[in-house]
Amino acid sequence: MGINKIISVDNLSFKYNNKAVFENVSINIFQNKLTFILGENGSGKSTFIKLLVGLLDVTEGNIFLKNKEIKNYSFIEKSKIIGLLKQSHKSVFPFNVVDVVLTGLTNKIKLFPTKKDYQLAYETLEKVGISYLSEKNYCELSGGEQQLVMITRLIAQDSEIFILDEPTAHLDLCFQSKLLSLLKSLLSEGKTIISVVHDPNLAFIYGDDFLFVDNKKVFRVENGTEPWNENFIKSIYKSSFKQIDYLGKKLIIPDFN
Amino acid sequence: MRNYKTYISIFFCFIFLCCNNESKKSKTNSDFIKVTDFRNKEIKINYPTKKVVCLIESALSGIYMLKAENNIVGISTNVYNGDVFEQYKLLDGRIKNKTIPTPGNWDFISIENIAALKPDLVIIWASQTEAIQSIENLGIPVYAIMINNTNDIFKEITDFGAIFNKKERADSLISFAKNEIESIKTTIKTSDKKKVYFVWSQGKLETSGKKSTVNEMIELACCENVCNLPDEHIVVNAEKIIEWNPDIILMWYSNQNKANEILNFEAWQNINAVKNKNVYQLPSTFYCDLWTLKFLIPVKMLAKWSYPQEFNSINIEEYKKEIIKKLYDKEI
Amino acid sequence: MNKTFLKILFYLIPAIVIVASVFIGSSTLFSKKEIFEYIFSGFQTSNQTLDSIIFNIRIPRILITFMIGGTLAMSGNSLQATLKNPLVCPYILGLSSGAAFGAALSLAYLTIPIQISAFVFGFIAVLLTYIISMKKNNVSTVTIILAGVVVSGIFTALLTIVQFFSDPFKLQSIVSWTMGNLHNSSWEKFKIAFIPILVGTTILYFYKWKLNAIALGDEEAKTSGINVKRDKLIILFAVTLATSSAVAISGVIGLFGLIIPHITRMLVGVDNRISMPFNFLFGGSFLLIIDDFSRSFFDFEMPIGVLTMLIGAPFFIYLMKKNNIGWE
Repeated sequence: MGINKIISVDNLSFKYNNKAVFENVSINIFQNKLTFILGENGSGKSTFIKLLVGLLDVTEGNIFLKNKEIKNYSFIEKSKIIGLLKQSHKSVFPFNVVDVVLTGLTNKIKLFPTKKDYQLAYETLEKVGISYLSEKNYCELSGGEQQLVMITRLIAQDSEIFILDEPTAHLDLCFQSKLLSLLKSLLSEGKTIISVVHDPNLAFIYGDDFLFVDNKKVFRVENGTEPWNENFIKSIYKSSFKQIDYLGKKLIIPDFN
Repeated sequence: MRNYKTYISIFFCFIFLCCNNESKKSKTNSDFIKVTDFRNKEIKINYPTKKVVCLIESALSGIYMLKAENNIVGISTNVYNGDVFEQYKLLDGRIKNKTIPTPGNWDFISIENIAALKPDLVIIWASQTEAIQSIENLGIPVYAIMINNTNDIFKEITDFGAIFNKKERADSLISFAKNEIESIKTTIKTSDKKKVYFVWSQGKLETSGKKSTVNEMIELACCENVCNLPDEHIVVNAEKIIEWNPDIILMWYSNQNKANEILNFEAWQNINAVKNKNVYQLPSTFYCDLWTLKFLIPVKMLAKWSYPQEFNSINIEEYKKEIIKKLYDKEI
Repeated sequence: MNKTFLKILFYLIPAIVIVASVFIGSSTLFSKKEIFEYIFSGFQTSNQTLDSIIFNIRIPRILITFMIGGTLAMSGNSLQATLKNPLVCPYILGLSSGAAFGAALSLAYLTIPIQISAFVFGFIAVLLTYIISMKKNNVSTVTIILAGVVVSGIFTALLTIVQFFSDPFKLQSIVSWTMGNLHNSSWEKFKIAFIPILVGTTILYFYKWKLNAIALGDEEAKTSGINVKRDKLIILFAVTLATSSAVAISGVIGLFGLIIPHITRMLVGVDNRISMPFNFLFGGSFLLIIDDFSRSFFDFEMPIGVLTMLIGAPFFIYLMKKNNIGWE
């Protein structure tokens, strides 16, 4: 179809404390798409992400970023290709927001940050719409504000692939919509976005592609089936739910009967 | 139920008996001697005193000087391990063959080992209060020593003379020492006292002040201690020594040539003692022990180094041999 | 406050403290005027005593004190940022116990110079800590601190054994070395320690910005392009090199490397680009002031470690009460 695969996972197996988390996973992720990763709690979504970024080493198999083995990248090269937004982040030291964002520019800064680097940091804060937080103490911000700062940091890093681990977790409605429109604009700039998300609805409404993590595997829904197919969702989330029609897709609401 | 209660009571009775047993042992001899030690405590010792554990090497020297060494059943470990072994092995074959038991050293003493030797008396430093208490609790008398000046040395020798029935020898050694001191005083005619800075071997800045055996040694040699602070052992500021400008620098014994270090120390090049190369190191811990009557030797050495003209005729080596022969009645 | 003015003050105050320290001391042989003339004539004088005291004793001592205070503070700051733990100081890696053991060994038995022995064993202790705590991907903070505590314990036990077998004179020397001593300062000691300290602190200086990134979090730093494992190793090496040299010539000056970085943070904030050089200048000045105090009030030499606690701690407590340090 002419769509490039930007990440390629080949026969990946991963064990943690002698327990198998993934077995023989082979899957491709495509460029310039908003791909959501869905699955039950504890299925290994965050672990999968850490493997993609290189924070964890595979037990068997290989991961290719842009057709090059992840092991062969230096830290700096890798950070230009792929960047990570963690689920939550605490800082021991009370840094200024602008200094936090500056640390995202590590792969561009030679020895010490210059005026240009500072300018870029401020511009990115402006772009995300949180300039008013620039000189504030990071530790005193709310969870949502902190998340936005870390997203700004990631945007400043300007990697080709953005990996996000539950980015909407601490955000209220206002921040959620801010975030989602940010992601859309990043996509239009040519970026690839991969995100773990809790709520399948968010994924189905905004996403281009969907990966599911279940039973030590990572996979897509079968050809010809929609991801919101009732039986399929039941097999992933193993619980009962109600479905509502919405713009040709189905929304999922937990059922408590 | 009843069984374990009886068992426990028997057990406790047994413990009780054991505790009481120790203190009953010492009441078998008939004759005593009373002596006041350096704690100002009067102690009662079996007389004649046959078995002594002496944990102070300098006091041990005193016992050998009085020729009462046959009474010794225990000594401190440093007699075997320290530099003094070289001389002690010539004094006593038992020490040469290391057959005398050593219940410990300084603060690390085995009370058990002392008790096993069943001594009539234990000689130890007065500062080791815990050990003293443990030993006295066993019913063994303790003669505690603290040497701050030559009068203390005389007291120690006199008391030992009484304890070991060597009064005559004790008295003669003391009057010999006093005569030697007098003769040094009368030999030095000048009233212009030399200034002496004394250094312990651990570092250039460690010295002794006005209330110390070191100070007395310096004064007996008709010199003046530059350190005007009172303490026995003190670390002074390096600038002070330049200010004091001593004529003589006297160092305690070390197995390295520390005098050279001082002679080469840049900052002190303008001090009189360094300029005139009057930096001396005492040659031995045994011969120069300030806690024994051998103090005469370092005093004479210092006197000769300070007033070379007045003591022109004195040969230090020979003087040393003379003193040792007089004190120990042997050549070592 | 004008930024340039603050910057000038930043460098001016330590310079003033250093020069003023030359005038302080217990000697009564010469006046302040004579000292002034001596300094500004390029250290020329006919008074040999003045020359000896000022040039050969006071100046090396002042330089060494400043260098050591600065080194401890800068190392402490680097470690706190690297390990993301504000409770660590350079000694926690076992360095001080290892160095004290090395010094005791030299004082009691060996013929190698005390500085070399202390330096080598300080290094060995940190190496041991690192080896024990090393894992494939990274070294976790808790692990390294735990390993450091264990290694400290081992060397302290060995130190106790050496003390056990020493006579009271040697024991006294060992104890006083362990309490920190600047009174034996000389040009020779300065020369021994100057180069390793220069190398160590320069490396740390060049890491002053990267430390911000590392202090935020290991995973964040890794994903933004920092080889965290390699950089931590380099920082650890630099800290050990500098601190081991400092301890080798001056003994263990307790808790200085822990407290000064906190004071610095209260004064200039957490950005390491500012706090790193500030730590060096402030730490150096602070220790120098404490030593000046000791030299002017006492005729005898009090171990500097005692004074840093008795003077430094109340000052720190005062600041703690006054400010909110900002820890959660």
